[in-house]
Amino acid sequence: MTASQESQADARLRKSGGASGLRRPNTEILSRLLILVLLVVIGQVISSSFLSLENFKIILLAVAGITIVAFGMTMVVISGEIDLSVAGVAVLSGISGALLLETESTALVVAVTLAVGLLLGLVNGVMVAWIGIPSLIATLAMLGIARALANIVSRGQAYYPDKLESFLWLGRGDLLGLPVPILLLAVAAGIALVLTRLTLFGRKLYATGGNATAARLSGIRTDRVKIAVFMICGFSAALAGMLESARLAYINPAAFPGMELSVLAVTVLGGAALAGGSGSITGTLLAALIIGVINSLLNQMGVSIYLQQVVTALIILAVVLPGLKQRLLAK
Amino acid sequence: MSASTSGAGAPSLPRPVVRLLRDPLLWLIVLIVVIGAASSPYFLTPLNIANTIRNAAAIGLLSLGMTMVLLTGRIDLSVAATMVFSVIVGVVVTVELGALFGERWLVRGNSFAGPPGLVIAITLMTGLVVGIVNGIGVAYLKVASFIMTLVALTALRGLNYILTTGHPFYLKGATFNWIGDSVYLGIPTGFLIALAVLAAMLLFLRGSVAGRRFYAIGGNEYAALYAGIKTARYVVLAFAISGLCAAIAGVVLTSRLKSVDAPLASGYELTAIAIAVIAGVSLSGGVGSPLRALLASLAFAGALNLLGLWGVSTWYQNLAIGLVLLIAVGIAQARQRILEQKRSGGRITYAWLLDSWRRYWNDKRQSVDT
Repeated sequence: MTASQESQADARLRKSGGASGLRRPNTEILSRLLILVLLVVIGQVISSSFLSLENFKIILLAVAGITIVAFGMTMVVISGEIDLSVAGVAVLSGISGALLLETESTALVVAVTLAVGLLLGLVNGVMVAWIGIPSLIATLAMLGIARALANIVSRGQAYYPDKLESFLWLGRGDLLGLPVPILLLAVAAGIALVLTRLTLFGRKLYATGGNATAARLSGIRTDRVKIAVFMICGFSAALAGMLESARLAYINPAAFPGMELSVLAVTVLGGAALAGGSGSITGTLLAALIIGVINSLLNQMGVSIYLQQVVTALIILAVVLPGLKQRLLAK
Repeated sequence: MSASTSGAGAPSLPRPVVRLLRDPLLWLIVLIVVIGAASSPYFLTPLNIANTIRNAAAIGLLSLGMTMVLLTGRIDLSVAATMVFSVIVGVVVTVELGALFGERWLVRGNSFAGPPGLVIAITLMTGLVVGIVNGIGVAYLKVASFIMTLVALTALRGLNYILTTGHPFYLKGATFNWIGDSVYLGIPTGFLIALAVLAAMLLFLRGSVAGRRFYAIGGNEYAALYAGIKTARYVVLAFAISGLCAAIAGVVLTSRLKSVDAPLASGYELTAIAIAVIAGVSLSGGVGSPLRALLASLAFAGALNLLGLWGVSTWYQNLAIGLVLLIAVGIAQARQRILEQKRSGGRITYAWLLDSWRRYWNDKRQSVDT
């Protein structure tokens, strides 16, 4: 299917079914909740310690980074674009921050990391919205460029931020009895939810992805919306990269291989259609939990990480298929 | 070179030759050769030329397959993973078959010493099957092509590690040596294979009805469908060809390296797309020629070789690949707009250019599933 065909089919569905882009996720969210509950039950049957606070913390910690990026990715996908550069952005911004480790100022390291993430997102957005390069190509190129730049500025070496206690706290510390990455995940989820559901920007975002021409004719600057979501995605990638490097006290230019795939998996599993205009932060959060629980299950059963990769791929496929069947039926 | 260029404008030359001489790609290659010859004494040595062409063979085969998929308006991100997967399956299945007949073909240090012919046959079959599965997913199950092939990429890379258990296989055998090392008239066998594939593709695309339909589908899929073309079959065919090309590229590359391991050729899908785009293949389908794709792979390999000779590190080379891809797509976008303006009889002025940019920003099509 070409893009125009798909968007036409979508538009028809939206007109005929009365299922608006914002309302549709409700059944999707229920079905995902059901899957999650089912998986947890299976987990409890397999291992009696599955339903413990400790295991829940471990699962959340494992998916915190990916989920934060997935929030940014969800917004990009809602706007009708895609961002394959997240791994490159996470690495380059992390390395840029790490270059300033000698200053021993956590604030500076964090600020530079996040600023580089924003900047790379801006470049992505400008390439897509103003120069008119398809986002698939622009961000694929950005992935290669950012990783190459990370290698160049670090000369291929790894950095160990193990002397900056307050930086490590971001990945390892506790606040109010909860690990910091989980708290940050909660904050990111809150901000993303408010941004997409309660603000004017959120309305513009769904309008842009749903029907760009209609959005433009009603006075929305769709190019600015797209640049904004790419910046949000770049920022979240940088944040996630920072959490990981703080947790491991280690960042190297080859880090996060294949991150875009796991993030896309979570996003697609969360119900965001790649044609744009639909998807929700709640769905993405549930999808991340599903992936986390599955990985935890596979780990406990001793399945190799590579087989987990295959399983993840098959899960995406399984989720993408029924959604399209619905769309075809609605046609 | 000078003898042929002096006759560029002469009407007596056959049209394909004239078209080739007008091609900016050819002049890009000439430019690279001139700069290379001027800046490095090693660039024009037979050994270096053979090496460069050998490098062009594998990425050229990948981009030939990619071109076929792009022609139908789809994209195949799984080419590099398919390439490595096919060879690994070829080796593993052959070894298992050998074990079935009481032969031990995987000897000390993971060296493969069985019959290369069988490995190659199974490799090609595997590539074909992977391509067909991709194609069915895209054409009949209606999964967006880049999601389908991204899924294939992830799954196949995972399977590669599982099948090899993380260790490389070393390939021994006269056939591998022949494909990887032998040179005829200064051209390595690998590139001759790529040329043969190119010839087959040109015959198919230019000389058969089915080939013309490929362009029709990419140009306007609805029109093609309403004209009675069973578009889904051609999409499957395109992915099957891409899978087969990837498998052939796998044979060529691993014969040269005499080994295969799971992380081999990661990121080659980016290279293949970059080459196709430089060759002028449209990402929205319907425009592109395999001949130019192979030319572009030569230019690409030549430029990378030159960077290597200058002592530029691979990191900068990767940077260059990304930048070149972006610039090529940017130029292609601008060129298309200028052509449209010319076709509609308008004049190309500075004011028009500015205005067209502005209109373009305001009027950009959504393009998620290329």
